[in-house]
Amino acid sequence: MIRAPGMRPGRLALYAPFLPLFLICLGPLIFVLAKTSALERDMRIAATENMLWVVTQTQMEVLALTAETAAARRDADQIARRYDLALSRLSLLQEGPQARYLDRLGHGGLAARFSEDLLALDPLDHGQDAALYSALHDLGQTLHPQLNRIANDVMTHEWELSATRLEDYRATQRLIILAVAFAFLAALAISGLLLRDQSRLHRAEVQRLRTSSLLARERGTSAMYRDFAAMVSHQMRTPLSLIDSAMHRLARKGDAVTARDVAERHEVVRNAVRRLTRLVETVLILGRLDNDQLQRRLAPASLEALAGAAQTEAQTHSPQRQIRLVTSGTTTKALCDPYLVAHILDNLLSNALKYSAPDTPIDLRIFGRGGQVACAVVDQGPGIDLMDQPHVFDRYFRGTGQNDGQGTGLGLALARELAEAQGGRVTMETKPGTGSIFTLWLKAAEGARDGRG
Amino acid sequence: MRPSRLAIATALLITLALPVQAEVPVLTVTGQIARAPVELTQSDLLALPQHRLTTSTTVTDGTPEFEGFLIRDLLAHLEADGETVVALALNDYRIEIPLTDFDEFDVIGALRMNGESLSPRDKGPVWIVYPRDDHRELQDMRYDTRWVWQLVSLHVQ
Repeated sequence: MIRAPGMRPGRLALYAPFLPLFLICLGPLIFVLAKTSALERDMRIAATENMLWVVTQTQMEVLALTAETAAARRDADQIARRYDLALSRLSLLQEGPQARYLDRLGHGGLAARFSEDLLALDPLDHGQDAALYSALHDLGQTLHPQLNRIANDVMTHEWELSATRLEDYRATQRLIILAVAFAFLAALAISGLLLRDQSRLHRAEVQRLRTSSLLARERGTSAMYRDFAAMVSHQMRTPLSLIDSAMHRLARKGDAVTARDVAERHEVVRNAVRRLTRLVETVLILGRLDNDQLQRRLAPASLEALAGAAQTEAQTHSPQRQIRLVTSGTTTKALCDPYLVAHILDNLLSNALKYSAPDTPIDLRIFGRGGQVACAVVDQGPGIDLMDQPHVFDRYFRGTGQNDGQGTGLGLALARELAEAQGGRVTMETKPGTGSIFTLWLKAAEGARDGRG
Repeated sequence: MRPSRLAIATALLITLALPVQAEVPVLTVTGQIARAPVELTQSDLLALPQHRLTTSTTVTDGTPEFEGFLIRDLLAHLEADGETVVALALNDYRIEIPLTDFDEFDVIGALRMNGESLSPRDKGPVWIVYPRDDHRELQDMRYDTRWVWQLVSLHVQ
């Protein structure tokens, strides 16, 4: 295909099929236009010519003159007037358009000859007398049938012209109908082609969008797994190396190992193993969450009891920290999965412990509000930087200045996602320099209000 | 050079005869005018401001040059007051013409065509001629019927 410079090939290809259709419908239309305009012109001339009227008027004037010359009481003025009128009609027949018409009928020059014959008997030259009247009468008698024949021929000619004109009309009419039909079909074809192109474009667009969104998802997924793998390998390496170095030291001391040494190393290894366990647990839960295979067994449970268990657990591993459980006396149970809630609270607590000074306390506050039961984890740490706040719940996000290699960057993200999986949420309030409050909100279990169990 | 007596006598005869010939009225105007009826001679019509007009016609070839008076001048001169004028020809052809035609277009009562006086043996002595070539709307059959030749009378109403 020839491509016009500067024109997108798609465009040209779009219009190329219409070109013959345009020609097919425009061709007859132009022809019809020319034909009707020719007809109109022809009609105008024919109507203006009005040849039959001109010839019969001439015939009538000649007849009037003939009658006047034969009248019982002849009037000279009247005869002169009739003579002039007859002459004027004959001269009209000799003018261009009329002369050409008569020429076409084979009567060319007749009017001029009649005029000459009449002028030979001019009353102004001869004076009016009986001889002139008689001559004029004789001439009129010979002119009359000849003019009658001309009128007759004009009439039949006009009829023929009319018949031809009607035929032309009919042919033109048929052409118009054909042209309109063609135009209609062409329009149909054009809209059909346009629609086809449109839907083809639409399909291509949809396909493109689908592909690009698939690609984006694919990219996101692969980035996620890359981040995940980096985090997991890093997080596993630290406790493993801790365990390794503890065992190494014990081995080096040989027989000189005291009970205190063993107790110290035992503590280090236990902490490392705990970190590994938490990591494995987190990874497992995350995997289930991403694959929609997270098991949720929602049942009424006492948030206070769950918080108490979390407190005890945290206290065991951080005996030197002060962790307080504050209840407002609510006995409302939460509709939740205890296993997931334990995981969330564990995350929030270890976060609070990690990001606050060792001599500051951590509070767990249980309260109910508007059909919800909440557990707020309150620390007196430095708070979260304003810039970091919007990203706190993003996966793999680590706060500015948290480059100590500790933390997965998953804790808060997982806490929120797990809360949402139970129809709850995790909110954050933070004030730089004062501390942060992360609150787990859960739905209150309706009808399980009192302490039945 | 000494003019012959015969020539002088002939010239005198023509001079005397001419006014007599010119006294023959060629156009009669009747109806709503100041002093109806008015009979106008060829010299009366020639005394009006003459106007030239070149136009094609439906009955001749080419574009003849016409010369004559503006109909509106004649009607103003006679203080005509009406809506239409009925034009009557020598052969009793009648047509009604709205007076607005004469205000809108420079319609003339032609007395001469291509420099020659119009004769009653042709389309004279007066032929109503419209400036057909100057106005597209005048190229219409409805106006063609108002080109009255051998005009003999006008009736204002």
